Amino acid sequence: MERLKKDFTTITFALIVVALAINIVVGTIVFQTKIPFVYLDQIGTVLVGLVAGPWAGLLTGVLTNLLWGLLGNPGYVPYAPIAGVIGLMAGWFGSMGWYKSWWKWLLGGLITGLVAALLSAPITAYLYGGVTGAGTDLLTGMFRATGSSIMEAALGQGLITDLIDKTVSFFVVWLIIKALPTTLLSRFPRSENVLEASDLDLDSVLDQ
Amino acid sequence: MTANTLYIDQDRGFQRLNPLTKLVISLFLIILALVLPCMWAGYIVFLLAVVPLALWGGILRPLWSALWKIVLPFAISMFVIQGLFWTGGTPVVALGPFSLKAEGLIFATRITGRLLAIMGSFLLVSLGTAPDDLMISLEQRGVPNSITYIILSTIQLVPGLQARSEKIRDAQRARGLETEGNIIQRTRSMLPLVEPLVLGSIIDVDERAIALEARGFSREGDKTFYRTVEDRRWEQTLRWVLAVSALFLILGRILWPFIGRFLGGG
Amino acid sequence: MIDLENVAYAYPQATEPALRGITLHVPDGQFLAVVGGNRAGKSTLSYVLSGFIPHHFKGTYRGKIEVAGMDLTQASLGEIAGVVGLVFSNPFNQISGARFTVEEEVAFGLENMGVPSSEMPGRVAKALEMTGLSEMARRSPYALSGGQQQRLALASMLVMQPQLLVLDEPTSQLDPAAKIEVFEVLDRLATEGGMTVVLIEHELEWIGDFADRVIVMHKGRIVNDGDPREVLADEALIEMGVGNTAYTIAARQAREEGLIAGDQALPVTLSQAVDYFEGSLDRR
Repeated sequence: MERLKKDFTTITFALIVVALAINIVVGTIVFQTKIPFVYLDQIGTVLVGLVAGPWAGLLTGVLTNLLWGLLGNPGYVPYAPIAGVIGLMAGWFGSMGWYKSWWKWLLGGLITGLVAALLSAPITAYLYGGVTGAGTDLLTGMFRATGSSIMEAALGQGLITDLIDKTVSFFVVWLIIKALPTTLLSRFPRSENVLEASDLDLDSVLDQ
Repeated sequence: MTANTLYIDQDRGFQRLNPLTKLVISLFLIILALVLPCMWAGYIVFLLAVVPLALWGGILRPLWSALWKIVLPFAISMFVIQGLFWTGGTPVVALGPFSLKAEGLIFATRITGRLLAIMGSFLLVSLGTAPDDLMISLEQRGVPNSITYIILSTIQLVPGLQARSEKIRDAQRARGLETEGNIIQRTRSMLPLVEPLVLGSIIDVDERAIALEARGFSREGDKTFYRTVEDRRWEQTLRWVLAVSALFLILGRILWPFIGRFLGGG
Repeated sequence: MIDLENVAYAYPQATEPALRGITLHVPDGQFLAVVGGNRAGKSTLSYVLSGFIPHHFKGTYRGKIEVAGMDLTQASLGEIAGVVGLVFSNPFNQISGARFTVEEEVAFGLENMGVPSSEMPGRVAKALEMTGLSEMARRSPYALSGGQQQRLALASMLVMQPQLLVLDEPTSQLDPAAKIEVFEVLDRLATEGGMTVVLIEHELEWIGDFADRVIVMHKGRIVNDGDPREVLADEALIEMGVGNTAYTIAARQAREEGLIAGDQALPVTLSQAVDYFEGSLDRR
């Protein structure tokens, strides 16, 4: 509980706002330029999870999808819990220090993609008749023709996209952190996930 | 009012309802559409509840215009995919070497109806409610101001960010970078966007947090309100009634098989 | 109002201190200006005075930091908010985004502070009037110009009636017309008196007009402190990257070329310059 309070500082809230905006704007761009196999609409969520902790990541994910709803795309709303889980997992991997070695971090992305696909399948199956309205539905058709249940087919279809999308998202966040000034990173609650802290010893430097 | 909100401000009864009432109505309709066992449940909820409410608010046309664009891709996919490939289904219509299966068509019809009802209910809220009124109502009910801050601030930030990204993309389209080329080229054309847009915004977070603190954002203790949103007595009652009914409906749906067996066997 | 004693500070990840022992005492109601070159430590000072150092920026610090009798290192930022106001240079980043209209944005701070609702409209109206934004009350903060947004930032601070107002280069990101808008508000503040103001600025001409006192910072230390006319006319400021006003330079040149006799103090503002040149013309 104490950790929770420390994670949710003012800078966390300010970061979440920007992260949500990035999710929406980048997600829209990717959708419009029709780049296959990726959505890139949870980059902000992963970022928040990494530098502000899993619960902040959870909040960011859930709010992303709710906001899509408020902004005119209610189709994404039912997937809010999954987006939350993405933020949660990014935070967990971050607190385990996985960011600090590139292959662990990408592995984290892969695992997150797997979990996301597993959790989305029931929602796609139950609410959306097992389809996503996109080209990958042909895959669904294939699975169904060969005897899979609606949910199994939904899982098969979502798996490839989610694995690629989440791994790429984790990678993009890695690039972003590398590009940010360390002074800024040091102000986030979980800065230890991405930085080695080094504070100046004033007494020795100023030798009064 | 910033351009990005969907809210259509009209002086109609529906708009004048308290935002929480609209939220609860919407949730109630969604639960109704999910819980009623009939195949036409979604259509019933949509036609008998969503449409009249939209008419009341004078937002039927924009609602329908947004709604069919959202539902159509799913509907088409469902009818085609589940219709053609329903495992072990009963063929009904032959299409060359393939045939549409009855179960698939029934399934697609039912789910499409549900989508209409659910997404329609959602659009009732987003088209018929001013986001800041909704947030203030929530704050009056005890939702922390940090959450409402996040939602309102994001709503206001997105248009500016989107406009900046549009400018960059226009410049790229003028150079033919975006629409042509394979995946690699198109992805690479997106990279110049990342830096100013994404990094710049994140760096701004620092100053934005300082500004919030200077306005007492992290102060503990009760917050007061500059303006409040009216909440009429009958609306509060209505909300309770709907909430309790929704609970009964859900319980009823869960227990239905047992009730049926009990009645049939007894 | 302000009591800093031997304050030293280093940002996290830094290899050298940003402040190397600042001692500063500012009485209530004084309008203090701070000048200095880049990296002199001016912004760092503004954060120290408003509690963001150490609470927001962390890092390592030493010394006594007291404002309005409050130890800023012990008080929380929430407690400090009502006592010290801060305006910095980027107008866009100071819009909270939490509200859709200018008047609600101004009231935001009052809501957080738990000010009684009945008091709010009056205080908001007064803050809008002081910053010339009364007609913009129902507009969206994001629809305002840069100068208007900066005045909104000022209004958001003034409405909270702080005892100390710190302004860190409030006009550096504004075009000349907008700069004047903001300085006019500061002028009003200076003439009305009452509030202690610390203004960090590069626009020396304006400082000469309203400041009671000027301090010069260089490499994390205060290297000069006194009457605006004396401090700003110092030629050493040019090397430090601060510069002198055009009036000072012109007057110094005129004196060196023998066009003006006497040892009248060099002017730093327009009106002083007018007196200076007129005065010497009379003597000839």
